[in-house]
Amino acid sequence: MHKSNNSRHGLAKRHLTAIGWLLVMCFVASSARAELLIRITEGANSAIPVAVVPFAESGAMPAGDKVSSIVQADLTMSGEFKPLDPSKMLSLPSERSEVYFRDWRMLGQRYVLVGQLTNKGGKIEARYELFDVNREQRILGETAAAPAGNVRSLAHHISDRVYEAITGEPGAFSTKLAYVTLSGTGKNSVYRLHVSDIDGQRSKVRLESDEPILSPSWSPDGKKLAYVSFETGKPAIYIHELATGKRTKAADFPGLNSAPAWSPDGRSLLMTLSKDGNAEVYEKNLASGRITKLTNHWAIDTEAAWDHAGKGVFFTSDRSGGPQIYYMERPGAEARRLTFGSRYNARPRPDSKGEYVYYVHQRDRSFHIARRNLKTEEEFIVTRTGTDESPSVSPNGRMLIYATEQGGKGVLTVVSADGGAAYSLPASEGEVREPAWGPITR
Amino acid sequence: MKGHERDTVNKDNVSLKSPVALSLGLHLMIVVVALAGWSWTNPVQEPEPRSISARLISPEPKPSPVVDEEDQRAEAEKREQAAEQQRKKDEAERKKAQQEAERKAAEKAAQEKARKLEQERKQQEAKAREKAEQQARAKEAARKKAEAEAKERERQKAEQERKRQEEAKRKAEEEKKRQEERRRAEEAERKRKEEQARKEAERKRKEAERRLREQQLNALAEEAEQARESEARRQREAAAARAREAQMLTDSEKYQALIRDRLAQAWYPPASATENMVARLQITLLPTGELQSVSLVSSSGNTAFDNSALSAVRSLNRYPVPGDRDTFERYFRQFTIEFNPKRLR
Repeated sequence: MHKSNNSRHGLAKRHLTAIGWLLVMCFVASSARAELLIRITEGANSAIPVAVVPFAESGAMPAGDKVSSIVQADLTMSGEFKPLDPSKMLSLPSERSEVYFRDWRMLGQRYVLVGQLTNKGGKIEARYELFDVNREQRILGETAAAPAGNVRSLAHHISDRVYEAITGEPGAFSTKLAYVTLSGTGKNSVYRLHVSDIDGQRSKVRLESDEPILSPSWSPDGKKLAYVSFETGKPAIYIHELATGKRTKAADFPGLNSAPAWSPDGRSLLMTLSKDGNAEVYEKNLASGRITKLTNHWAIDTEAAWDHAGKGVFFTSDRSGGPQIYYMERPGAEARRLTFGSRYNARPRPDSKGEYVYYVHQRDRSFHIARRNLKTEEEFIVTRTGTDESPSVSPNGRMLIYATEQGGKGVLTVVSADGGAAYSLPASEGEVREPAWGPITR
Repeated sequence: MKGHERDTVNKDNVSLKSPVALSLGLHLMIVVVALAGWSWTNPVQEPEPRSISARLISPEPKPSPVVDEEDQRAEAEKREQAAEQQRKKDEAERKKAQQEAERKAAEKAAQEKARKLEQERKQQEAKAREKAEQQARAKEAARKKAEAEAKERERQKAEQERKRQEEAKRKAEEEKKRQEERRRAEEAERKRKEEQARKEAERKRKEAERRLREQQLNALAEEAEQARESEARRQREAAAARAREAQMLTDSEKYQALIRDRLAQAWYPPASATENMVARLQITLLPTGELQSVSLVSSSGNTAFDNSALSAVRSLNRYPVPGDRDTFERYFRQFTIEFNPKRLR
């Protein structure tokens, strides 16, 4: 009896062990069932491969660059895309039925843009489709038309649509650039204010002067430019209506009149005036003409710019001994220094989203364009060249244009906002400086 | 035949009721005499009634000849009657006178005869009575004798019965005793056998118990041995499982890292991406590493972002997966990929 009891006890024990094992197994099984999760926190540090297939054409086409070539150049310039050389394409489809995804996949392409151009009574109509090669889906399909003499606009429009379809951000390829060129030296110097496409094409001179032209600034509607001109022998701020060429003086005070910057609502202009003896930041109400002093410091306060919301103001001040970036949460509020660790930080240019502010930053003996994350305070050197100045952010915040020197000559360079790729605009004669990226206008 | 039967039946009664028979005989006699023997002058010569009576009760066939005789006589009488009638006619006259004389004589004789008959009848009656008495006595004696005999027989029979019963009783007693004896013997035998059986059973039980105990001991020993072995095996297996688990985990981590790298290279976070965007995709792979299916299980809220993730997942021709099937099944058959740009360009 005792023995059997013992054995029963043993049996129970074994049962317990078995149950324990089961539990362990369950635990193991359940922990095994917890599905694997892979986190991807970084993307490719390279541009997206995209194939812009030369568009099929029917009817007479204007001479000059092909639409697809312009699109390809636009996408390349953005630094975010790496268009495939058409000579490497296995086929040149112009509509969906001709697209073999496998081929494009094999070529490592992510997107394929195909299209047809038709001349319809002097108007060029583009019919284009964009495909996601991996998902084998059409993500864009539209038609657009433009006068035969305006195919660049058509091309930039297509670039904008493609860019937006892929990135979710509006493209900025149809926007304009303003910049100043200098040709000649000494007494033969000629300053010209240019407005062009962002690829430098279709450039038009809006102002020509023997005296320096500085700091062009776009009105939010893209119809006016404010700039500093020394045409009268001393600096004054002008507002220039592009459509009519009409110019008005916005500021012509004794001393310094410089660094105009439009408010996001276009109603006022920030500027630096030294009419009271020291350079301070003022705001001029364009409707009333009233001028408000925003800073009051013995040091130089200049190069002011509204933040994306039009509430706070960034500016440069040497109140700490050298130029540094400061920020006022609202006009007249106490300024907070943003930049440290460098002797020279100047000319702040915030993006349109309130995420970053770009500025000229000196490191060692070189000057670069730096980007500061306003949330994390992280500073990132965007440009790799060495004498960089005058940063201007594209309205979608994805590209940055700045002036730099190439072979002892001033040139403009477009770089993706994260510093991915640089694209130098074709240099016209002389030096190019003071670029200003215009707004998106619809 | 009926008459025979009846006679046969009556035969017993004759001896019992002889007076009746006697009277019957007498009447018959009278009729016979009246019919045939009328002429007989000497009635003395008539046979003794007793003999008649005796003859009557003597063997049966006698009455038949009487009947035959009567028939024959009737035949003869008929013939005679014809002659007689002739003769009667002749002698009618003579007879008449003679009859007268004879009648007178006959009357006298009849009277005489009646007297004698009366006497005789009385005598016969007396005789009959006597005889009846005698018979009754004899009968009584016979009865008594029979009774006595019957009694004797009864007694003897009773005696015999008693004896027989006694004998039977004795025999029964003996039988009983014998049976008792046998029963006792049997009982004893049974008890002996039972005892033997009990002892055998006891022995067997003890043997069985001993064997059981041995078995139990063996079983316990074996169980202990098995437990030791199984514990050892379990530990070996657990160790192996742990090692395998670790190996699988190591493998899985290795391949996770490979997949992560490949996807990171393949993923182009769109310009509109922000750091707080998260897209979750569930992917199902084939053991060859080919993508079987992918589905967006949690959107980032940004179509371009979601599409970039989907495109990245689809862009890999072949996912790096472990060759080990178990590791594959456990970790890579189906898993989730989370796209979340911690560090934007």
